[in-house]
Amino acid sequence: MSDDVQDIVGDYRYGFHDPEDATIRFDKGLSEQVVRDISELKNEPEWMTDIRVKAYRHFAERAMPDWGNCQMLNAIDFDAITYFLRSSKGTENDWEDVPEAIKNTFDRLGIPDAEQKWLGGVTAQYESEAVYHSIREDLEQQGVLFFDMDSGLREHPEIIKKYFCSIVPYTDNKFAALNTAVWSGGSFIYVPKGVHVEMPIQAYFRINSKNMGQFERTLIIADEGSSIHYIEGCTAPTYSTESLHSAVVELIAMEGASIRYSTVQNWSVNVYNLVTKRGIAYKNATIEWVDGNIGSKLTMKYPAVILKGEGAHAEIISVAYSGAGQHQDAGAKIHHLASNTTSRILSKSICKNGGRSSYRGLLRVSPKARNCRSKIVCDALVLDSNSQSDTYPTMEVGNSSADLEHEASVSKVSGDQLFYLMCRGHSEDEAMGLIVNGFFEPFTRELPMEYAVELNRLLQLEMEGSIG
Amino acid sequence: MSAYLEIPIPPTSEHLWRYSPWKRVHPAAVNTIPKAQPLAISGGDLFKAVIRGSDEIARSFIHSIAQCQELVLANEDLVIDIKASGHVAAGELKIVAKGHCTLVINLMGEASWAGLRVVGEVLPASSLSIALINELSRESRILRVEDWLVGKDASLELSTLSAGGSYCKSDLRVVLSAKGSEFRGAVASHGTGKRHDDHHFEIQHAAGYTTSGLTIHAACDDNSRAIATGLLKIDSDCDGSNAGQIFRNLLLSEKSRADSIPELEVLSDDVKAAHGAASAPISVEQLHYLMSRGLAKSSAEALIVEGFLMDAFIKDIRSQKVVAAMRTALLSHLDCLVS
Repeated sequence: MSDDVQDIVGDYRYGFHDPEDATIRFDKGLSEQVVRDISELKNEPEWMTDIRVKAYRHFAERAMPDWGNCQMLNAIDFDAITYFLRSSKGTENDWEDVPEAIKNTFDRLGIPDAEQKWLGGVTAQYESEAVYHSIREDLEQQGVLFFDMDSGLREHPEIIKKYFCSIVPYTDNKFAALNTAVWSGGSFIYVPKGVHVEMPIQAYFRINSKNMGQFERTLIIADEGSSIHYIEGCTAPTYSTESLHSAVVELIAMEGASIRYSTVQNWSVNVYNLVTKRGIAYKNATIEWVDGNIGSKLTMKYPAVILKGEGAHAEIISVAYSGAGQHQDAGAKIHHLASNTTSRILSKSICKNGGRSSYRGLLRVSPKARNCRSKIVCDALVLDSNSQSDTYPTMEVGNSSADLEHEASVSKVSGDQLFYLMCRGHSEDEAMGLIVNGFFEPFTRELPMEYAVELNRLLQLEMEGSIG
Repeated sequence: MSAYLEIPIPPTSEHLWRYSPWKRVHPAAVNTIPKAQPLAISGGDLFKAVIRGSDEIARSFIHSIAQCQELVLANEDLVIDIKASGHVAAGELKIVAKGHCTLVINLMGEASWAGLRVVGEVLPASSLSIALINELSRESRILRVEDWLVGKDASLELSTLSAGGSYCKSDLRVVLSAKGSEFRGAVASHGTGKRHDDHHFEIQHAAGYTTSGLTIHAACDDNSRAIATGLLKIDSDCDGSNAGQIFRNLLLSEKSRADSIPELEVLSDDVKAAHGAASAPISVEQLHYLMSRGLAKSSAEALIVEGFLMDAFIKDIRSQKVVAAMRTALLSHLDCLVS
């Protein structure tokens, strides 16, 4: 590894990569033909090809966003990215059938082990497509559909056609258009009426190649009175050139349903992470986004919930860590379209070594939505004078019955807290790690224990050397 | 400095212009520079002055149609009246404060459109407390832009009672330029009818050990809309800064609207920065308390609105003269509404 790359890698423990062994690799760059080729390769129905082509045309015409970190955004070279790469012959249901090198990668990431212990199902995506997929038999017997998105489209095109692009249309933003044009992989889940999926279902996304684009598409539909917890994790090797991850996630929670979508994003610091996530909650439904952003060069991600049915509830908990060269531009959006809907947003961020973290949020109460309640809390810790923390919240209240609160604060780690812990025998680094773990505790307590432990460990690694 | 017509029209994606686009703020077509009557300012010793233009569109526009006058305050308390008459009225005012001063500005008149640009400086170790009482006619539209520089160990208080005019856009910017400088801003906005009141604040902490606080209280009735946007920026190497913003909205009718965007940009680590925003209807408990003591519902509501609006000044504004001026003006405004 060169010194330059070592500088970038730092303590990132997932920065290793396998030799590339692609079965199909498209040339770099994007054109309408590339979009048609992806669709043809996957043998997709004509309606999907049409959506892809329309989305591509929209992407080509649409200007880059003129807000956010424009300098970083404009540095993306769309012609230098590989838009499709197939690494295995198909999606396997047994880890033993997954190509050895890829299996080793997921072993090192601990996925098969976790699956055995505490997951209801797993999709492992490597580059553009899923290489492994499984679901517990009892869930299958209850009628739960869990596929990688490509298989879902083949097996249940009628459901996908009904809901695909219904929550995030390709006209939503430039990167949603890009994803719709070249999407590959992701998860499709349908939970039937009244079924509660007790164990979380996990998807793990891994980019291995240089200058790779990963564009997974996830659609989760929880039918009336059902519930599901979905977890996604992401890592990538560290290269000196950039990769692009641009996903779209659509959640549909029918009456009385509940969806929790947890993310621990730990991309390496050469990955642009530009993601559109949105859910719609019908009557008395609940959607929760639990969103942790630790890695990536630039993250722009604002999980959104449209509260469309009376009594619906949304909860968004997000944490972000920004180190050297990173900008975590994360936030949350909630649209109260129906009466008696409630929401809560909790955002926490830490920046150090010149990193920048931004909270960008929108809370909108439509004029016809009566008696809505919402509370937003944003807390930021700035650990040194080279770092920056921003808060850009927007509240738009369309009628008099709404009860909304927003509060935000930016501060540094208090000397008193450090002193207290050091008096009890901790080193400065340990004390700082403990304080940071405590700061993020409202997030980690929402994760399954294995994830929370791993996250705490990762944060502790990131915080080493924060003092002095 | 660019001439007004050379400046591109700002897009509504800029949050400064998101809720009150420039084409609605401008008195006529945006590519025209109408003739304006000067604002009639009385009550102080004013001198002709020249201030620089600006690359910012609103400032540049007023600069292109207005004449500038200078007011120097030295250890004094002053009340001035600014009257806007005619179709379009505009003026620029340069204010310099030395020592400890208060200034009450009564903005009145029936002009269809009024533009006021203030460029002010509070000299080191001085203090200035300003009360601006907007009593323009209910048909007027107003554009108000202000730029303040606060010197070392100096303090500026900027209080606004915004009750006049039908379409109001204010863009107020303060730079805390040296150690020990302090800013306290307070706005009470009362919306009735179809009143549109948009306040934008930019507070820049350009030096360490500076303090700022901003409170905006908006009570919105009928079809009115209140907008409060604020950018609180703490530059790098400004340790010891302490900044806070509170935006509160009281929604009094079904069709009233309130939008709040309190933004923070913090580039230093050893600082305290916080903001809060809240929107809610009148508390049923408060209404019940007052009505159980014999007040009619309308009187109880009026009392709550008065208390809510005055609260913007009472907590943060130290000058009792300014607080008293605000109380008198607010009571008079509310009495007029009732009668």
